[in-house]
Amino acid sequence: VSVETILEITALTLRVAAVATLAVLPPALALAYLLARVSFPGKALVQAVVGLPMVLPPVAVGLALLLLLGPRGPLSGLWSALSVDVAFTWWAAAIAAAVVGFPLVVRSCEQAFAGVDVRYEQVARSLGHGRARTFLRVTLPLAHRGVLYGALLGFTRALGEFGATAVVAGILPGRTETLSLGIYARIRLGDDDAALALCAASFALALASMLLAEGWLRRGAR
Amino acid sequence: MNRRAASGPAARRGALACLAAFAALACAPPQDLLVASAVSLREPMVEIAARFVDLEPGIPLTLTFGASSVIAAQIRAGAPVDVFVSADDRIVDRLVADGLVADADRYPLARNRLVVIAGAGLMPPPQRAEDLLDPRVRRVAIAAEAVPAGRYARAWLRRRGLFEALHLRLIATEHARATVAAVDAGHAEVAIVYATDAHLARSARVAFPVPDAEQPRIVYTAARLRAARRPERAARLLRFLRGDEAARVLSAAGFAGPTG
Repeated sequence: VSVETILEITALTLRVAAVATLAVLPPALALAYLLARVSFPGKALVQAVVGLPMVLPPVAVGLALLLLLGPRGPLSGLWSALSVDVAFTWWAAAIAAAVVGFPLVVRSCEQAFAGVDVRYEQVARSLGHGRARTFLRVTLPLAHRGVLYGALLGFTRALGEFGATAVVAGILPGRTETLSLGIYARIRLGDDDAALALCAASFALALASMLLAEGWLRRGAR
Repeated sequence: MNRRAASGPAARRGALACLAAFAALACAPPQDLLVASAVSLREPMVEIAARFVDLEPGIPLTLTFGASSVIAAQIRAGAPVDVFVSADDRIVDRLVADGLVADADRYPLARNRLVVIAGAGLMPPPQRAEDLLDPRVRRVAIAAEAVPAGRYARAWLRRRGLFEALHLRLIATEHARATVAAVDAGHAEVAIVYATDAHLARSARVAFPVPDAEQPRIVYTAARLRAARRPERAARLLRFLRGDEAARVLSAAGFAGPTG
């Protein structure tokens, strides 16, 4: 493969993982906070369901997403009204990565929030901060290490996502072909050299994101 | 208190930065024409696409290759394919029957043949179908049952009455090219593959061709999808695929003409 192709595939992989992570954060933070602070009937069930995409076979998640997002799925009216395609576009790859990474982000954030002493929040409330302000100014800053770690877990999971993505996004070069899909397609073609070149790019990307995260966490710990 | 006062605006800045990053990343890539083709046509299709774009510049072409059966399943599931080149005309028949392709928008493109290839380690190589029963042939690679190359290979083995006997030695691969790769990599001693793919093997060699009288009918078919996002461009590509220049590329790659 040409260097150009490797860079293109790497850029797409980064974009898919970044969009998935950014899209997942707001709902994951909200749900994690709810789970950390509020007890309600059926909470254990909610926690179990949230964890499902992490333990289900990724291909099963992919099939569920394909049925949901495809042209005969329940959302097909919405797509044609907006005249967009979702299945077999990089959006589908990002959605697959987001769904599979969601439980990791929620788990990590939930623990981070649970580690924040409720009394800090009570003090902020008594000083006139509203719920949202308290969350943004007190809870989130105090929990930021766990939140960052969760975001990183979701991001790295998204970088390597294969099973769900292959089903719902296919392996379309230049459109949905991320590093892991590209490696697989080239192994199947018997093009081991190209597969190894993409593996090297994967390795570099994974190492870079881990180093970045280590530095980030260390700086945050000061 | 200081720390908290400082992190409030910081958190908001962070959230804004995230939003901006999201918006920047979410911009869709430019539109192109998606051409999905049987993987056995890979090299000639790349060549034909390059010549087409040279001759008629415009919307760029994106090529994707795989088992025709898998591509057809993806098309049914909503993959935005504009032009499909199948290794089996019956797959296109079914797309026509289901209203996904108009009957006027499909054309036979080329024909292919089956050969048996053997790894370099198998000496002497098998000479005829019965030699596949030799105990030294521990694994025979053929494409999966739904894949055209796999269906053709199975049809031939059944015709020769060898399918039951070889059944437990068969390893099913994902598509035609993966079958060749399986022998090159030593995962199988023998494979039943397209004649055009056999030339591309790195170490495996053609052991013997499937005899003319036993050759299955293998007709590649090009089609424009009803749901094509770029119907004009797709129609032009289809016309080019049927033209003399494309025929020369296909013939150079070892494919026979669509009729005869």
